[in-house]
Amino acid sequence: MTEIALLLGLLALSYMGSILSSDRTIRGFGLPSGAEYLLLGFLLGHEVLGVLDRSTVAKFEPVLVVGAAWLGLVAGVGYGHVGPRRVRVGRALAGIVLAAFVGVGVAAAVFFAFTLASDVTFHERLLLAGAAGIVCSETTRHAVRWVVERHGAKGALSDALADFARASVAAPALALAVLFAAAPDQGLPGLTLELRALATLGIGIVLGLVATLLLGREFRRDESWGILLGTSLLGMGVAARLGLSALTTTFAMGLTMSLVSPHRADLKVMVTPTEKPVVLPVAVLTGASVDVQAAPFVPLLIGVALGARLLFELARGVLLSIGMRAARRAGALNGLGMIATGPFTMAVAVTIGMRFPGPLGGSIVVLAAGSVVMGELMGPLMLRRVLTRAGNIIPGSSQTPPPPSVDPGPPDYGRAT
Amino acid sequence: MSGAARAPKGVVSRLVQALALGVIFVLLYGASRSGATIDDRLSAVAAVGFLLLAGTLLSELLEPVGLPHLTGYLLAGILGGPHVFHLFEHETVARLSDVNTLALALIALAGGAELRIETVRRVMRSVSWALFLQTAIGVVVMSGVFLALSPLIPFTRELSIWPLFGLSLLWATLAVARSPSACMGILAQTRARGGLATFSLAFVMASDVVVVLLVPLALTAAAPLVTGGDFSLADVHEVGREIVGSVAMGTTLGLVLAAYLKLVGRHFLLVLLALGFVLTDFLKYVHIDPTLSFLTAGFVVQNLSAQGEKLLHAVEQMGSVVFVVFFGSAGAHLDIPLLRSIWPVALALCVARVAVTVGAARVSSAVAKDDPKIRRWGWAALISQAGFALGVAEKIAEKFPQFGEGFRALAIASIALNEIAGPVLFKLALDRAGETDPHEAAPRPSLAPEPGTPHG
Repeated sequence: MTEIALLLGLLALSYMGSILSSDRTIRGFGLPSGAEYLLLGFLLGHEVLGVLDRSTVAKFEPVLVVGAAWLGLVAGVGYGHVGPRRVRVGRALAGIVLAAFVGVGVAAAVFFAFTLASDVTFHERLLLAGAAGIVCSETTRHAVRWVVERHGAKGALSDALADFARASVAAPALALAVLFAAAPDQGLPGLTLELRALATLGIGIVLGLVATLLLGREFRRDESWGILLGTSLLGMGVAARLGLSALTTTFAMGLTMSLVSPHRADLKVMVTPTEKPVVLPVAVLTGASVDVQAAPFVPLLIGVALGARLLFELARGVLLSIGMRAARRAGALNGLGMIATGPFTMAVAVTIGMRFPGPLGGSIVVLAAGSVVMGELMGPLMLRRVLTRAGNIIPGSSQTPPPPSVDPGPPDYGRAT
Repeated sequence: MSGAARAPKGVVSRLVQALALGVIFVLLYGASRSGATIDDRLSAVAAVGFLLLAGTLLSELLEPVGLPHLTGYLLAGILGGPHVFHLFEHETVARLSDVNTLALALIALAGGAELRIETVRRVMRSVSWALFLQTAIGVVVMSGVFLALSPLIPFTRELSIWPLFGLSLLWATLAVARSPSACMGILAQTRARGGLATFSLAFVMASDVVVVLLVPLALTAAAPLVTGGDFSLADVHEVGREIVGSVAMGTTLGLVLAAYLKLVGRHFLLVLLALGFVLTDFLKYVHIDPTLSFLTAGFVVQNLSAQGEKLLHAVEQMGSVVFVVFFGSAGAHLDIPLLRSIWPVALALCVARVAVTVGAARVSSAVAKDDPKIRRWGWAALISQAGFALGVAEKIAEKFPQFGEGFRALAIASIALNEIAGPVLFKLALDRAGETDPHEAAPRPSLAPEPGTPHG
């Protein structure tokens, strides 16, 4: 396939994403994580049908990195709010800690498994374990929203799980800054690991403040796009040039704006609808770029990481049931209800894959794909069971149209009039 | 364009903008001087971000001294480009050409959509005379000027009279090329309304078509003079096919776009992206001129449907970002060392071009009995040259590789001077003609004259 044909295909996917995210009547169409597009990309890629050859896909790598970093910005701008409701600080911290708990658990399991069963070096093992932990820590808010909207869930537990899911993205975003700072080749060799990680966040925070200042008191949407695009693209480019995590930089930028800008709600309305149009092409390109042969330890990695994730999710469920009265009835199942990962994890995996090309990056992309698929199969089902047990879903009562309790319907930003 | 005309900003706003400009400059400067480039795949992304922000901020900061926004965008590119602070490399600037493709498609679409039949009819007489006289006088006089200056031009010193004659004809053709992008950029920024604005836009867009036709004719006429070969109408035949194909394709595209806007109307920005990136490449592949096709499409949407305003609004939305980067990258492209080495000749040619343009404008205004505003300032929009003229120069340089490099260098230097001076002159003219309103807050939907507004 030629580059132009691929570009047209990606634009068509983006168009489809716009329709899916803007049309309320078909918003529930498709899987919450967009895993089917990942699979489509894999089938079209050089591993199966060969429609998208490796060199053509490689030319679109910058698109992948920019798309992934943009998802970081979207996550940052929307952080701390579920629909119109603000997530309490305590709950946000709990969400981050619980996500980190699962991630650290997976990382530890991978590290020890590879110590026993592989000859990779200590540093590689550390990077691999860290990356595996990062892509196994998030809970996608889309899965929670999907279940809540489909089944009309309402109650303390559904609210709490939506809050935890929303907060959980901070764990992989921050850990990614540390992972990149620990990479062997460095753009800032004079700085320590901690300072490099802080620089990743610092660039984002500074650009977030610049964007907030420039947006000023009066919000003009047309001009705001220029400022938002300019600052985020500059942040991505500078971070990538220095070997830092562009996704973390844009996440920090979005978070800064969401905290200090008086136009937080307007910004969210602007950027949230762009998520789906970005996710679909990124998912297809990611799927097409998967190189199973370049990832020799994928079977071991997937087996250990996903197994560990299941175990630590159960442990998370137990912790939740201990800490929250509303979660007691479901017990360990609470954790399995939060196993679904989504576009953000794929974006993280893509970022890792681009920064660490070769076996490490390739393995992590495959692991993330596996994690998304497993989460897709298990997460919504388990979440439904959990919420039913908690009395947040009354069996047999599916509601249409979906309530706007979790995320407001995006505006029609693409309307030409 | 950024910065819709509105109430002037206070000192605090300007300080904030200057601070923000300093921060982004320091950030990219620090990154580019850190010594290590771990991943340069996103260097073009950083450059786009810088051009977008720095261009917007510089244009706002230059506003109080009366300079147009385009100058700010160009200045951001010049300062950040490889010849001054070297915040990004030559290769990065070359990679930005994708943005240019999109920008040119948008400019052509908007240009076509701005040409309402009613408006064109009102200025038909003025524009027709101006087109004829600017082209005829421009070609004749600029050929003579080039011939006269040829002893000072390094690559023409060795040429005998006939090749020199052919070359001067080609230079003259290049000299009558204008800049639709600069014209539209200034009009979008100033929200200018009135006879001069309407005349300028109609002239520049029509002149675009004339130059598209003129270039192959000039190439055909110059080829036997320069190379000594036989006279061949192959190029003319080719251009005839190209023009018919472009108009046909543009008409079809215009009807499809009008139908889309009427029946769907949503997510049009993605459609514009597809047109700019994908369709442009396809049209080039089948030897159809994308500029003429998009111009025709815009014209069809505006005049054969009721969707013209929607199209203009969508282009303006996307253009507010794309045009800043387009002019910024044009600034980054400016070869300052080259300009420094051949500036006397380039300047002489530019001054001659301005003089010819002003003279021809006076003659055509007298013949067409134009309104005093057009008589006095009608030439001002015709000075700018940018991407379109560069494309013409490139085509000529490719056709005659024996002096291609020298011709290209001189053309780039001259276009650079016109690119810098042209927008300033045009904005000055609009201000003096009283057609700009700095306090108008609402976006200018189109150049359609208000009902009852007399021409001129």
